[in-house]
Amino acid sequence: MLEFVLMIIIVVSAILALIQKDLLKAAILTGFTGAAVAVLFQVLLAPDVALTQAIVGAAIVPVFIALAVKKTQRSDG
Amino acid sequence: MNELIPLMVIVPLMAGLLISAFSKFNKATKIFAFVVAICLPIIPLASNYGLHFFGGYEPIVDNVTSVMFHPAITYSFTFLQQIFIAMIGILTFLVVFIYLTKYKEISGPYLFLLFLGTAAVTAMLLTDDIFHMFVFFEILALAQVGIVAASSIDYSYEMALKYMILGSIGSPIMLLGIGFLLAMTGSVNVTDIAVAVHNGLVDITSPVFLLSLGLIFFGWLYASGLPPFHTIKSGIYSKAEPHGAALLQSFTVISMISIVLIMFRIYSTLPIFEVLIVFFSILAMILGVSLALTQTDFRRMIGFLAVGELGFIGLGIGLGTQYAITAGLFQALNEIIITALLFIGFGAIVNATNEVDTRKLGGLLAYHPKVSIMLLIGGLAMAGVPPLSGFQSKLMLVQASLSCGYPEISILAIMVSIATFVVFVKTYYSMFLKPKPTELKVENMEVPRAMIFAMGVLLIIIVVLGIFPDVVTAGISNFVGGIL
Amino acid sequence: MAQTQLVILFTSAALIIIGLYSAIFIDNIIKKIIGISFIEEGANLFIVAIGYKPGGVVPILMPGMDTSWFAANAAYPLPFGLVLTSIVIGASTLAVMLALVMVLYRRYGTLSTKVMLADTSKQEEYNE
Repeated sequence: MLEFVLMIIIVVSAILALIQKDLLKAAILTGFTGAAVAVLFQVLLAPDVALTQAIVGAAIVPVFIALAVKKTQRSDG
Repeated sequence: MNELIPLMVIVPLMAGLLISAFSKFNKATKIFAFVVAICLPIIPLASNYGLHFFGGYEPIVDNVTSVMFHPAITYSFTFLQQIFIAMIGILTFLVVFIYLTKYKEISGPYLFLLFLGTAAVTAMLLTDDIFHMFVFFEILALAQVGIVAASSIDYSYEMALKYMILGSIGSPIMLLGIGFLLAMTGSVNVTDIAVAVHNGLVDITSPVFLLSLGLIFFGWLYASGLPPFHTIKSGIYSKAEPHGAALLQSFTVISMISIVLIMFRIYSTLPIFEVLIVFFSILAMILGVSLALTQTDFRRMIGFLAVGELGFIGLGIGLGTQYAITAGLFQALNEIIITALLFIGFGAIVNATNEVDTRKLGGLLAYHPKVSIMLLIGGLAMAGVPPLSGFQSKLMLVQASLSCGYPEISILAIMVSIATFVVFVKTYYSMFLKPKPTELKVENMEVPRAMIFAMGVLLIIIVVLGIFPDVVTAGISNFVGGIL
Repeated sequence: MAQTQLVILFTSAALIIIGLYSAIFIDNIIKKIIGISFIEEGANLFIVAIGYKPGGVVPILMPGMDTSWFAANAAYPLPFGLVLTSIVIGASTLAVMLALVMVLYRRYGTLSTKVMLADTSKQEEYNE
């Protein structure tokens, strides 16, 4: 059951991230996807991968994107 | 000494890191980079052939089926690896030498990228582990992007970003293909996968196996710049500094042959595999030469010619006989040297005139006689004029396709060679022989000595390989006999 | 094929398709890069799903575990090790791409790919 919920979170937040007008929100939604994938790794019996993904996918990647957005422009268009 | 095998990767990697960290000590860094660059060709020549198991995990023999399993990342070092690594070592040495003499104040990160690329292609050649190859494939892509972005040519950042975006679409796709192979065989070691495929443990007609071929093939097309990636590949050659481009094209050739050899060992039982390779190679040959004909920027012209030459390598490997694969690998070796010579030589012209448009150039023979003679010999070698090395490998390719029963392919190969000759002579004429346009100013009269030296070394290798091809082909033929 | 595995495979396929769509069709370069990170996550998810064993245990040998029982029930750890490397590579390529975008934004003042990456082709047309 958990994996169904996670699947919906991943897919919905991925699509939402790509249709946002505000790029900062898109960066945060990318973090949602990364975190949900990390939990899925835990479900798949890979705790070490889950730890790495939780750090990289849920923290580092969104922060990088947010920094890039801060240095460039916030709105898409 | 088998201990030297991992050092071939570790030495350039560590040296690059140290140089990048201590680049503020300019003089010491220069000397250190020079010493490391000299070591690069010496290490493979001093090392013995053999296998190296990382962590010392020897292969395990299954008592029931008496099949060997390789738990460790394995490096296998044979004559093929030796000759290619030595060649890339010589080339890296020449490029680093040109760079060190050109600039008073050197940039540590740029040298790091050069050494990183060398380490990556060395590891791709040595490794017997498909995931390990993928990791270094990604590192190589990063190094290439860095080398392109570091150049002072206009629009180099845009080209680097384009290449990077294509690359980061291509590499997860390749990773998926590796994943499919892993799912079917439970191993990432190429020898284990090949044994499983040839012993019938994997259903080779299954769509999953075909899909994994398609996905890895896509990654290969990207890495080697065959169509549909030929434009971006020739683009990054033209946007890099000339000595960087000389190294970049050798990275392309080596990553192409190392991936295709791995694919050949796994997928050679599939008939469609060889058809695919021959199809894309012929496409690359035709597109490369015909696009080179329309270019007026001579760096792009050489880039497209290099793509066309890649087609010859693929052709040899796609034909699939021992003689044909030997010819293809020999052609790869020749192409590394010849294209590097052309890039360095044309780089000297850019250095002297600050002009890349062939229509605005002319009459340079009087100003740079040495460079022009060496470039002429290099171009003739690329077109396949006897007795230079390009002739030997192309002759072998034509003979191989005739003996395989495809006279059409041999005719096509000869026609593409002639077209290459035409393209080169046309460019050569408009740069060196036709009267000098009045508005052209030849600014920097001296061509750097290091460039002349590098071209001389490469030229000697071309002539020697042209007269004594057996030095290389006999060893390569033995290697090919081992993987067939 | 257990239900969990099937769900995971669908998720990874969906991530790859969403990522490919955005990397090819969306104009904004940052969203392209976000899409590329989705492709990488999808590929990683697929490879981890290979190693999964329904009803198995985490492949860490604790003291007191029976070795033969552990060998029969533990998930296959090789893909997990591979994915660790691949996650880190993905993050580093993302960082390099974003750095290039930041440099290019200073020159063009927009994030649109059509403007940012089109100039090279214009220059090529001019050359031809």
